[in-house]
Amino acid sequence: MMLDRVLRIVAAALIVGGTLTAHKSSAQDGAKIAAGEVVYNTYCATCHGDGLVSSGQTFDLRRLEAGARSRFENSVLGGKGQMPPWKGVLTSEEIDQLWHYIRDNAYQK
Amino acid sequence: MMSARQGALLAAVIAFTAGFAASASSQTAEDLKNDHLTPGDVLVYGMGYSGQRYSPLTQINKDNAARLVPVWAYSITDNRGAEGFPVIKDGVIYTTAHNATMAIDALTGSQIWRANHEYPPETLRVVCCGIVNRGAAIYNGKIIRALLDNQIVALDAKTGKEVWRTKSPAPTSTENGYAMTGAPLVANGVVIAGVAGAEFSHRGFLEGYDAETGKHLWRHYNIPAQGEPGSETWHGESYLTGGGSSWVTGTYDPELDLVYWGTGNPAPWNPRARAGDNLHTNSIIAIRPKTGERVWAFQTTPADPFDYDGVHTPVIATIPAQGQPRRVVIQANRGGFLYVLDAKDGKLLAANAYGKVNWADGIDMRTGRPKHTQVYHDALAGKKVTVWPSVSGVTNWQHMSFSPRTGLLYINTLHVGMTYEAPEPPKLVPGKPSGTPTVRRTVVLDDPNVRGYLKAVDPMTGKSTWETPYKSPNYSSTLVTASNLVFTGTMTGEFQALDADTGKILWSFQTPSGIVGQPVTWERNGRQYVTVMSGIGGVYALRSGDPNLKNVPAGASLWTFALFDK
Repeated sequence: MMLDRVLRIVAAALIVGGTLTAHKSSAQDGAKIAAGEVVYNTYCATCHGDGLVSSGQTFDLRRLEAGARSRFENSVLGGKGQMPPWKGVLTSEEIDQLWHYIRDNAYQK
Repeated sequence: MMSARQGALLAAVIAFTAGFAASASSQTAEDLKNDHLTPGDVLVYGMGYSGQRYSPLTQINKDNAARLVPVWAYSITDNRGAEGFPVIKDGVIYTTAHNATMAIDALTGSQIWRANHEYPPETLRVVCCGIVNRGAAIYNGKIIRALLDNQIVALDAKTGKEVWRTKSPAPTSTENGYAMTGAPLVANGVVIAGVAGAEFSHRGFLEGYDAETGKHLWRHYNIPAQGEPGSETWHGESYLTGGGSSWVTGTYDPELDLVYWGTGNPAPWNPRARAGDNLHTNSIIAIRPKTGERVWAFQTTPADPFDYDGVHTPVIATIPAQGQPRRVVIQANRGGFLYVLDAKDGKLLAANAYGKVNWADGIDMRTGRPKHTQVYHDALAGKKVTVWPSVSGVTNWQHMSFSPRTGLLYINTLHVGMTYEAPEPPKLVPGKPSGTPTVRRTVVLDDPNVRGYLKAVDPMTGKSTWETPYKSPNYSSTLVTASNLVFTGTMTGEFQALDADTGKILWSFQTPSGIVGQPVTWERNGRQYVTVMSGIGGVYALRSGDPNLKNVPAGASLWTFALFDK
């Protein structure tokens, strides 16, 4: 009986703890997404369109899928086609924020 | 032994040949001055120093415009916006892209030469609104243009070989937020060039270079330094990052010896970081081409919250104003008012809305200042407002034309508003982006199927004689002829001829991409031609998210049309 009660308390604590962890992680992602939007508006929107909406003449960043992160970072840092390289301008933290913003708006989550 | 008669004949031949060679290779100041009177060539940006984009040619008219056909097309080999103004001299068309200058046989479309221009890839970090070039100037056998990385270069018109190249002096650099996209204007032997980059926290200016040698002659900062008259309109050191660029080519009145140029928006876009009127941003300025001395200035939008970049080319005309014919400059301002100023002293003669405007009720004719509505005051206080027009303006950079025959302006306008909110402003440093990230906005439409009109507008009243609606706004410039035809292009690629009296579309031809170029007309061997670049790009195409454009392919090409002759 006592054991059963203890187990229930432990289980409840685990559930609450897990929920809190999930909330914390979600809040961190939200902050990254918001910061990424600022980075995007500052450096990227001039060519890739307001609110990530391209009119069709440049790459639609919403097409980037979850597995494209390294390709994305290489393109941002080194430039691609007529996109200038952003190495030395954007920090790895900003690129991470940008990635979270783009992925949050991607066609395939 | 040569006879006296043979000697005289030879002398005549030599004189004739020398004269021909001179006319074939030289474009003197006098040639440039008379450009609007010589329809066999197109020598000056805007088809003449007045920038009227008016041609006396009449072979193509309302009755036969439907018989227009392409004569040739030429690939620019580029996927960026084709905004260039074609220069035409002695059967050769000179045109530009951001990374190349080209000479093309005007009758066949075959390439004579192409000069490629390299620039560091980092240059593109400070090109806010399309990687473009708007054209070259021609002078004494040289094709003179600006490069994106802030250099002015002169090429031999015959060969494309470089004659001189001058880097714009410090602090002009990519790192400090400067880029050059506009076409230079040669006035009184001086190459006048402006800069882009008010979105990157720079301090805008105009410059003069010697057209023969490339020597840098002067710089006129559009924003006064501390202690200079007008500096009191800037708070603290905000003038150092205050914008006021000069990216659209101006006009020149040789009799008054004044160059007219529009200056751009203040920076940052967020007005709460730069209290004051912010002189001489959003202004029309008149300067002496030899020295850069500013003779007068008229500010259209003091303390601008909305990015109403006042760069639209001031067109020179003689029109009835206040009871008599007057030499005036006319500017279709981005904020939605059409200004008419005395060309001599900048005195305000008329200012009327020519599109939907809600941030001001009109212009005070005594002070020249906008009569602000609550929308403006709320915006400045940081409240969210719905404002007309949007950041793109009632018109943007696309050039209007003016017909002395009809007395009307032909203006491609936008019909788009925006929500707008300016939060607490950021601290700025030179070269740091200062446009979009400093405010919040969204697009507002009255009708998603009408985002623009081509309008025939009376300069003194702002009222339209006709308005032809378009699904997406035209960013092509207009051209008007003495046969009362207006030529323009659409974002979806149709090149069109309209009746200047009614606005009816008389002819339309689908080019391979969207048109954001500048149509010109010219004649050779008794045949009239119309030339325009096709190639979507520029700020609206890149940023608007306009769904009408999603199936418009990129790709720049140059097209020439004439009447079907069989």
